[in-house]
Amino acid sequence: MNLFKRAWWRLTAHLGKTVMLVGLFFVICTLVLSGFLIQSAAARAAESAKNSVGAVATMQLDLNALIDSGKMQQGSGGTPGMIGAEGDLHRSLVDKICTSSVVASCNYMKDGVAAPTDQVKLHQPVPAPAGQDSGGVDFFKADGIRDLDAVKDFRNGDSKIVAGSGIEPDSRSDMVVIEERVAKDNHLEVGDKVELNANIQNPDGRLSTKETDFVIGGIYRNNTADTGTYVPPMMAPSNQIYVTPDGATRLDGKKVGADGGVIKEATFTLRDPGDLGRLKQDAEAAGADLRIFPLTVNDKQYKTLVGPINKTADFASVTVWLVAVAGTVILALIIASNLRERRKEMGVLLSLGEKKPKLLGQHLVEVVACAVLAIGFAAGASQFLSQAIGDQLLSGEVSAANEQAANEAGKPDPSDPTGGANRSDEPEVEPIDSMDIRTGPADIAKVGATGLGIAALATLVPGARVLRLNPRDILTKGD
Amino acid sequence: MATSLTGPGASASAGSPVLELKGLTRSYESGNRRRTVLKGVDHAFEAGRMYAIVGPSGSGKSTLLSLASGLDSPTAGTVRFRGEDIAKLGLGRYRNRHAATVFQSLNLLTYMTAVQNITSAMEITGVKGPRKQRAVELLDLLGVEKQDRNRRTLQLSGGQQQRVAIARALACEVDVLFADEPTGALDQETAAGIIEVFQKLAHDDGKCVIVVTHSREVAQASDEVLQLKRGRLT
Repeated sequence: MNLFKRAWWRLTAHLGKTVMLVGLFFVICTLVLSGFLIQSAAARAAESAKNSVGAVATMQLDLNALIDSGKMQQGSGGTPGMIGAEGDLHRSLVDKICTSSVVASCNYMKDGVAAPTDQVKLHQPVPAPAGQDSGGVDFFKADGIRDLDAVKDFRNGDSKIVAGSGIEPDSRSDMVVIEERVAKDNHLEVGDKVELNANIQNPDGRLSTKETDFVIGGIYRNNTADTGTYVPPMMAPSNQIYVTPDGATRLDGKKVGADGGVIKEATFTLRDPGDLGRLKQDAEAAGADLRIFPLTVNDKQYKTLVGPINKTADFASVTVWLVAVAGTVILALIIASNLRERRKEMGVLLSLGEKKPKLLGQHLVEVVACAVLAIGFAAGASQFLSQAIGDQLLSGEVSAANEQAANEAGKPDPSDPTGGANRSDEPEVEPIDSMDIRTGPADIAKVGATGLGIAALATLVPGARVLRLNPRDILTKGD
Repeated sequence: MATSLTGPGASASAGSPVLELKGLTRSYESGNRRRTVLKGVDHAFEAGRMYAIVGPSGSGKSTLLSLASGLDSPTAGTVRFRGEDIAKLGLGRYRNRHAATVFQSLNLLTYMTAVQNITSAMEITGVKGPRKQRAVELLDLLGVEKQDRNRRTLQLSGGQQQRVAIARALACEVDVLFADEPTGALDQETAAGIIEVFQKLAHDDGKCVIVVTHSREVAQASDEVLQLKRGRLT
């Protein structure tokens, strides 16, 4: 193919111009590739952050919304001013929502208490000081849950199973999981049958207890050590036990199924923090009244982690576009000026009967050859350059985020439906402050496509205009 | 010069009309003015003959050459190559296969060497065979020194460039060779050599050679002299 030979001869004959074109392409490709690498690094960081903190949507009763809706204890013989059935969140509804494709796992919780028995006593390393009342909290805090792994302490790693297994959706209904200090104090092991006292509210208002059978299915360890001072038993992490939702119903002194599967709250771990909208749609489709049982995501951790790196990626994205557009324009102008200089050459070739597309092809080959060289150089240089640029940009964004966080410390978080009550439950996280820049084949392919696209646009747009002329016009112009 | 200038199998049948101009008219718009440079030119050119087109500056010689060589299209009339309208044949195809032009301003590709200019043209026009060898032969025949063959043409003298331009046209093995003032920039001796080359092309190789010239020597060496005056052949 003669056009390739001509392109090669031209490139080698005008070495200065060739080097200049390669240099310009190198700058463009390096900046574009750096932008892509920063974007990929940010995407990887966001994915990793997503996996580490996840995003948990919580569904629970909004009492104010219920009052505003006027659905509290309407008719049906209930006590006026009581919450009533309209405020009950049912397991059956949550089970339907759990089937949504955006939900990775879900859980629900029915809170309750269990009174100790001779067989299962509370763990109390420091007894109450003489004369001090326990304040009526000499109970185990017994939460009925669907999936122990989805409980925040287990998700965060503050608690972990050390013997047996955790509660799962298909666990036997009389299973109980206790903390290892309680197990040790009471010489209990996995598989032991135990009795816990259910608290029963009698019609006359008096509390009585009823022995309820459970089987120890698992023993867990909570990382919080005992304090050296007296702590009311129910407040001590060691006295937290977990039962199934049916177990919690029985500890309420009710028969399984008699309460209609009412729970306190449900949590849904989303595959992506951005899927809340879709979850809401699915929840409404399942029959949930989201005004009374709103779904909220506390994705503050996720935002804190990825906020600065995402801003850096956004900046990189804008840079990629700006450089690509500016690069195309600059190159197009240079090539247009080149083509003007080479009108005579084109006229000569046309006079020999060379086809116009081949003429344009020669220019394209020349520009693409420069682009390919530049892409090769850029692939080598971008790893270091984008690391430096990315770290610099990210460090600025992290400082800004930390400053903003310091300014906002103490202010209520509008995304927290509990009004800050749960704030201490979320572990503090620091924004991601380093970038893991990796040049992969996909990045090279992307910058290759961009570079070649720029080369094609910058050549064909001005080239098309010149090639409309006929050889006589070209050869006589300026003569 | 015993060797054929245009290579093997490149001759046309001498004596037959190869190129016909019929009612050839060319006008140019300039603002609101319309200037007609050629006015209904008719002529038939035969293979195996050398033609000189002479006339004062502005008489339309170069325009006639552009139209006949397929570099431009007429406003009216036709150029027929072996009876076929070159517009229908395709101007690019006509230039590629049947016509070659030696320009007044040489128009060599300056980033190529003399040999590369010739082999490139041969590739474009589809000439088969050992191109480089043929290029060297032609340059040798036209007196281009050995050391100049592989130099970029920008580094060659005007006379050397003219020789290279002619060698390039000859290398394309076409039926009609056009030349626009080919000896204008050459010394007398070189010009005589070039004229001899054109004569051999016409008489020995059966080509149709059409030369636009102001040179009396070229006109005298031609088989037919056509005078162009105010856009008409006389």
